Formats: sequence, structure tokens, C-alpha cells
Amino acid sequence: MASTNGETDQVLVEERSCGRIFMLNRPKQLNALSSVMVSRLLELFLSCAEDSSVKFIIVKGKGRAFCAGGDVAAVVHDINRGYWKSGAEYFRKEFTLNYVIATYSKPQVSILNGIVMGGGAGVSVHGRFRIATEKSLFAMPETALGLFPDIGASYFLSRLPGFFGEYVGLTGARLDGTEMLACGLSTHFVQSESLPLLEEALVKAATSDPMVISSIIEGFSHAPNLKKNSAYHRLDVINKCFSRRTVEDIIEALERVSADMKDDWISSTVQSLKKASPTSLKISLRSIREGRLQGIGKCLVREFRMVCHVMLGEVSKDFVEGCRAILVDKDRNPKWAPSKLESISDEMVDRYFSKVDDADWEDLKLPVNSRLPAYAIAKL
Amino acid sequence: MEKANFRTQILTRHLQNHAAESSSGAAVSRAPCLSYAPPEASASFDVSSMRKLMDSHNLGERDWLFNLMVQSKLFNPKLRGGKVFVAPDYNQSMEQQREMTMKRIQYLLDRGVFEGWMTGKGSEAEMRKLALLEVITIFDHSLAIKIGVHFFLWGGAIQFFGTKRHHDKWLRATETYLMKGCFAMTELGHGSNVRGIETITTYDPRTEEFIINTPCESAQKYWIGGAANHATHTVVFSQLNIEDKNEGVHAFITQIRDADGNICPNIRITDCGHKIGLNGVDNGRIWFDNVRIPRENILNSVADVSSDGKYLSAIKDADQRFGAFMAPLTSGRVTIAVSAVYMAKMSLAIAIRYSLTRRAFSITPNGAEVLLLDYPSHQRRLLPLLAKTYAMSFAGNYLKLLYVRRTPQLIKTLHVVSSGLKAALTWHNMRTLQECREACGGQGLKTENRIGQLKAEYDVQSTFEGDNNVLMQQVSKALLAEYIATKRKNKPFKELGLEHMNKPSPTIPSQLSSSTVHSSQFQNDIFCLRERDLLNRFAAEVSKYLAQGESKESAFNASYQLAEDLGRAFTDLAILQTFVEAENSVTDASLKNVLSLVRSMYVLVTLDEDPAFLRYGYLTTGNAAIVRKEVANLCSEIRPHALALVDSFGIPDAFLSPIAFDWVAANAWSASQD
Repeated sequence: MASTNGETDQVLVEERSCGRIFMLNRPKQLNALSSVMVSRLLELFLSCAEDSSVKFIIVKGKGRAFCAGGDVAAVVHDINRGYWKSGAEYFRKEFTLNYVIATYSKPQVSILNGIVMGGGAGVSVHGRFRIATEKSLFAMPETALGLFPDIGASYFLSRLPGFFGEYVGLTGARLDGTEMLACGLSTHFVQSESLPLLEEALVKAATSDPMVISSIIEGFSHAPNLKKNSAYHRLDVINKCFSRRTVEDIIEALERVSADMKDDWISSTVQSLKKASPTSLKISLRSIREGRLQGIGKCLVREFRMVCHVMLGEVSKDFVEGCRAILVDKDRNPKWAPSKLESISDEMVDRYFSKVDDADWEDLKLPVNSRLPAYAIAKL
Repeated sequence: MEKANFRTQILTRHLQNHAAESSSGAAVSRAPCLSYAPPEASASFDVSSMRKLMDSHNLGERDWLFNLMVQSKLFNPKLRGGKVFVAPDYNQSMEQQREMTMKRIQYLLDRGVFEGWMTGKGSEAEMRKLALLEVITIFDHSLAIKIGVHFFLWGGAIQFFGTKRHHDKWLRATETYLMKGCFAMTELGHGSNVRGIETITTYDPRTEEFIINTPCESAQKYWIGGAANHATHTVVFSQLNIEDKNEGVHAFITQIRDADGNICPNIRITDCGHKIGLNGVDNGRIWFDNVRIPRENILNSVADVSSDGKYLSAIKDADQRFGAFMAPLTSGRVTIAVSAVYMAKMSLAIAIRYSLTRRAFSITPNGAEVLLLDYPSHQRRLLPLLAKTYAMSFAGNYLKLLYVRRTPQLIKTLHVVSSGLKAALTWHNMRTLQECREACGGQGLKTENRIGQLKAEYDVQSTFEGDNNVLMQQVSKALLAEYIATKRKNKPFKELGLEHMNKPSPTIPSQLSSSTVHSSQFQNDIFCLRERDLLNRFAAEVSKYLAQGESKESAFNASYQLAEDLGRAFTDLAILQTFVEAENSVTDASLKNVLSLVRSMYVLVTLDEDPAFLRYGYLTTGNAAIVRKEVANLCSEIRPHALALVDSFGIPDAFLSPIAFDWVAANAWSASQD
């Protein structure tokens, strides 16, 4: 059933007996999710849900990336032309896809053999099985772009051990495959050379029983060792500092620890916080904290409000500025405004969480799937 | 007979369905089974604005602390029905529960939760502390009590009774748990009557030491939270005898354990043992065998002893001196009253969510079974308690403000209001817990569903920090004293909310209408009428006994029935007034509308339930019937808002329980296999 139809080539579909393999196919753009890809994936997931011959789904990426994120360049282009609402439609569709994946009734196996960032996490981490390899590279870099970890990240980051999610979400820290496995972002670690055999084994088993699938993957897995300087070894410091109530308190706590002992990891952590958009940091922290107490649906609805406010730019236009500095001009020197954490009041942060004051704007409405047990939702 | 037919019909239908199913061979179809459908959300008002009104302060701090607890294994997270719930493991032994309590305290300490709890200045720091303690209470009463004893009782005693030398030495150390404090006031023989305690302290001028002694078994310190396992220091309350003269009750700092946890010489400590609840708190009993402590350990803000052994006090009157010593207990009553409201909120959030998803019985032969909360009788059980909980939540907020803004002029008001509200709110909580437990049926018995266990955990609130009945009598006593003093001076009333007695007595229409009973004017009038009339009656009865030659005390004791009614009248009115104030602070129309329904429910159900209104004729029997009917109407009017009203409590899902959400999934076979 490999598709050849023009734009739908951006997602290749392979039918292997009871399995469907979706391959993200924009390797030059590191498989960044275009609007077309999001629509296509949504359509594919929904139709496979109805199709009783489909037992499981594999998602992977072509080339050296699984998926490097959403297509924010296109969104910023829309905003600059004054069409923030078409950006909003992109996110509406993307978040709906995230929700469908999070509540999907059939097992999804995501093969994260390369870069997984932002939107890439959104189409994988919410699924049942996430396979990391020695080539995996995970990050949520949004705070450096003037955005915040969206795509339901406030749900899964807040459910990582201790306050590791705050660390990953605020600093944009990069994790390798072993770290992903250690913190639970991935469920298995498989050497990339074994992936073809694993795929064959899954196809041969032709089952939707998660226990069986899990044991098949386990057959190819091994437990790798964390690298010596892994941030995951610093969980005590992370828990101590990133559990603080405000971003200011977090930075202060980190600086207090680094005053006691000289430590490169801490100073680079502080550095990345200081380089990120102050507004992004504040709304990201609040989002992750709220996410911890909410279900995936509520998280996505809230994030949709937030992302609309980010695009509207009433409080801060850091998103446009961040994309300019990182993606367009590539000077890596964004001029954030407001430029200081102290100048961002609680009221300004509140704005991002309020309804958008616009007659035809609507909250994100999530598809209802009444046949699903609620436990299908929490997979992490 | 008709019932039997109906039952037969239903059974037949079940059998037929079953037959049809098996013949079609569709073995995978599970359609006839019950499945969980989440309650329909139909919020007519903004839940987050209502939450702001209810929680009223430090929302960010509250959510931060909820987060801290959800995120640690120490808080015993359990995955049930796809959601994580945190609750203590009450199946642990008493000793294990106590160790968990200490570990949780350490965790919260490391994350800065207690920063500023002793060293912070001003009302902002106090409000933050109160907010965080409320959140802790929602997780576990033992944890809150253990923390409350250390900070509010031990720490409060140092703050209020101590002077600079004590503050410098202890406040910071307390805040960082360099030591662990407890509060040794209650004895085996004396609880509410603190003045009767028998521990004796004398002074030895040669060594400049106080000598604390437990002279008899009834003088052993009892129920001392923290004493059995962990506390290193205590504030001892004791009679002070100086030069053979008893100077009344005073407070002293005494070390009871060394840093390694060994009990100090001349101190004997033993455990109070297993309790019906609060087993995460190590309540102990202490005996002092002529324990010697340095002179500077007397908490000397009220009175002191000079090095050569002379008694010195700025307050000459022993009664006033005693009153000054009681001040920290007010903070205890404030936190108890407020935490009781949060427990009522929790149990109602659980029971109402369950009643919006659990069905029982069809009322038509082929109809779907009916949601519990769609039965008027079920509404009548839960919704009035919900309305009262709203009212008492506003009263709790008022009480907190009164406490943090206390001035010497307000001490009497604070004492009376905190006494009345502590009793009313904790009694309300126990009643609510019982009703909610029953409303959840068998599910209410499971510890994981919280409510049943909370009954055991919170029962203690009715008697600690002042027995509720005694506190209520103190309210009536204070009102009577105010009444007599005002009448004697022949001046208008201007304290304790009695100003309404300066005006002519309100009249209640002989024939109430539905619109009248909804008006806040009528509602206020009838509560004022009750208080005014009962106070007059109470004063008259007491003076009748006095005229017969009885002592003041026995006259008061003999009038206990009126005293009881009056205490309730005072607190009900105080609660209503805080509700009206909260309502007036709201501008949003949708919020105002629902609040006015809830307020009417609060008043009308009080009229319906308290026999005093009929007994003393504030309501005619005809009017009582109208009120009763209106309560039923209000039930159906509040029913659509029920979910939003409990969602506004601001308690995260993780702190509720599996039956508040998908209880089918939580109880599925696969869920039991993990």
C-alpha cells in the first residue's frame, strides 16, 4: 500500500500483514512535522483504529532523525504575515493527533533511532512502546525558541521521576538513548543494528497483545549503562533545585549548590536557563506543574490556549524572535522581551492560561472515544 | 404485588438478553456490562474563579506543594484505573507510619516548604504557612499534626511566651528541624481544664535552676504528640510555686532527648499506644522526676523569676496571666477548624463524583438505571452538606484573617469566634464524613477511597485543643458576660456581633413565600432573632437561678440547654455573615447566582434541621413546612452545579480516590494483577 500520491509521500505507509509501518519522510528537514504530515498521520491513525485487520503500528523516521519537531518555521511565517489563526489550526491538528495517539487502543511501537525533539516526542512518547537506540537524541528545546514544551509535554514531562521533567523541559537538555530509558521516556533500548530483525519479529507475531509485543522487544533489548557524566546521575541535585516553586528560586538554588562545589554540569545548566526566553521559562514551569495534576486531555487543552497566546504575542513576542535567531538568521542571539524574569508578573503568566479573547476562537475540542478504558490514557 | 411484577419483568429481560447474546455467538461483545461514563461537565460558572474565592490565598504555593507530594514515592503513589493517587498506607504498622511521617517531613524540609515558618515576619508569611499546612492536611492528618505540633505548638509557645533569648536560640533551629519540639500541656487528670494541671515546678536559687516534678500518676503528661519517638525538646506547662506560693500555670523549655534520641536523665517516656486514627503521630506520656533546668528556660514574656528567686510579672491578675498563656491555642483552633472544612470538601468531592457516575435501579421497566444523584433523596443527603461546607469555608477564611490580623482589642472576639467555629466546623465534618461514607455504599469502606479512614483520622478534632462542648459553652458564657456588662452600663452592644440587638427585634412574616425565604434580609433576620431571643432567655434563666441563691457556676451549669442552643445560634449567624461578605466581594454574575443558591440552602437547611426554630416559635409549623419544601426545590436547583461546585475545591484528582473517577477500570481484573 506504499503511497505515491504527491504530498502524502511525506508519510510512507507500509502494510506488513497485521502491522502498519508509518515512515516519516522529510529527511532533509529531519522529518519536521509539516501540516500535511500531521493531517496524514491523523487520518492514518483514525482509519487504522477502525480497521480490525490492523493489530499494531510502527512509527519511524527516514534518515538520521526520527522527527526533529513541529514545523515552527511555517507557523512563524504565518504569524509574520498576520495569520496567527492558521498557525492555531496547525497546532489544533497536531494536538488532536497527540491526543489520538495517547488514547489509542492498539499498540504503537515508535523507533526513535535518531533525533527526537518537540513535535517528534508528541507522536511517539504518548504511544505504548518507545524504543531508543545508541543513536537516539532527545530534547525539548522550546524555551530557547521562545515557545514552551507543548504537544502534551506538560503531561509526560511532569510524570518523569522526581523533577527531571522540569529539568528537561526548562533547560532543553539533550538526552541520549540510555538516559531516555533510565527516565522512562523510552520503554526499551535496542541496538540500531537489531532493528530490522525486531521489525520482522513483530510482523511475524502479528499480535495486538501488549504483553507479547513487550516480550518480543525485550528479546532484542539490553540494559545499557548510563554515561559517567549523565545528568541522570545528578537526580538528587535536580530534585533539590528544580522542585522549587519559581524559576527564580530554581536558579537561586542551583547557584547555591554551585557555590558549595565547582561543577561544570551545574554551571552549564544555569547558563542554558539564562539563555532561554524568560517568559518561556515561566510559562513552561507553570505548565509542567499544572500538567502533573491533570490528565492528558486537559493538558492539551491548556497547552492549546497557551500556544495561541504565544502566537498572539500580547505579552511577549519571544516566539517570533526566537525563531528568527535560531532558525532564520541563525545568529543565535535572540533579544528576549521582557528580558528579565523579575519583570514578568504572575498576571502576565496568567494571561497565557486564559481563554483567548476572540469571537471565533475556540478551545481545543478533543475527539471522544467512549469505548476506551481510561487506563489506555496513561502509558508513561 | 406490583413491585414483584416489576422485578420479574426486569429479571426476565436480563435472561432474555443473555439468551439473545449467546445465540448470536458474539462472544466478544461486552455491551450489556456497565461501563464507566465520566460525569457530564456543565459548569455554569468559572471553576477557577470559584476556586480562587474558596482557597482565597497562596494558590500558587498550594499547587506547588501538591506537586511536590505527587512527585515523590514517599507519598505512596498508586496507579488505579489509569490515574495516580497518593494517600498514606494505613495498612502499615504504627511504627512504620511514624517513620514515614518523619521521612515526609524531611522531604518537605529539603525542598523549602517550611522556609519562613518561624523566622518569617508579617501576615503574608503567616498566610503562606496556613495555606501549606492545609495542603499537607489534605494528604494526611498525621503529617499535618506532627508538623503542627512542632511549628504551631512548640514553635508558637517559643514565639508567644518566649523573649529574645529564646527566639534567638530556637526559632531558626525549629524552622530547620535542628531539634524537634513537642508541647506538654495535657495530663492524664486534666485536659480542657488546664488550670487544674498538677505538674509542679519550684526554683532553687542556689543553683539558679527550676525543678520540674510529676507528683502523682494523674500528673503524667498525656497525648504529647512527638514525645513517644522523636521529640528532643518540650514546652512543659506546670504550676509554678515560688516561696511556697502558687503563681499559676507557666511554661518551661526542657530537653527530653539527646541528639542521638536517648531519653534524658530523670525523664520517663512511654507510648500512648495504638489509636483509632493518627497513628503516624507518636503520642507519648512523660513523667518528670525532679528534672533540673536552667533559669533562662522559663518562657518569660508574661512572668519571670529573678535569679534570687523572686516572682516578677507585669500582669498582676492571675486570670489575665492565664489568658495570655492560652493565646497560642487559638492558632490550633484556627488550623483545626479550617482543616475540618477541607476534609468535608474532600469527602463531598469524592461522594458527589461517585454519585454522578454510579447508577442504581431503573424506575421504568426498560429504562437505564438512575444516577444516584438524580434521586431527590440522595440530593437531600449530600447537597445541603455541600452548601454548609461552602458556608463554613468562607467562615474559615474569615477566621484565618481574624487570626493573622489579631490585635489586643480583638483577642476576645478571636477567642469566642475560634471556639465556636472550631466546634461547629469539626462537628460538621464528622457528620459529612459519615453521610458521604454511607452515600458511597460499600466503596466507602475501602481505605483507598479515603472517606471511611478519614472518619477515624479526624474524630479527634471534636475534643483536642478544647472539647467542642466546652468550647460552645465558652461562647455562650462570653455572650452572657457581654450582655450583662452592656446592660449594666446601659450602653449599646458593640462587640461579638451583637450590634443587631440594638435594633428592634426583626419580625418574621406569618406566611413565608418562596421569594422571602431566598432573600438574604429574611435569612439574616431569622438568625438574628434566634440569637437575640436565646440570649435573653439564657440571661433570664441564669438570673432566675442566681435569685434562688445558686452560685454563678451552678446557675450556668443548670442552664446548659439554652447555652447549647445559644452557642449554635451565634456560630450559625457568624457563618452566614461571612458567606454574605464573600458573596458581596464577587462581581461575576454567574458566580453570584450560584452562590446565592448555596447560601439559601445553607440557611434553609439550618432552619429545617435545628429544632430551636420550632421550639421557640421563630417558625410557625406552617412556615416550617414551606422551608422544608424549599430545601427540596433548592436540591434540584443546585443539582446541575454539583460537579462544578466540588471541582472548585481545588483538590487535585490525585488526592481524591479511585471511586471519584473510573471505578470500573480501577476494579478491573487486570488492575488487580499488578
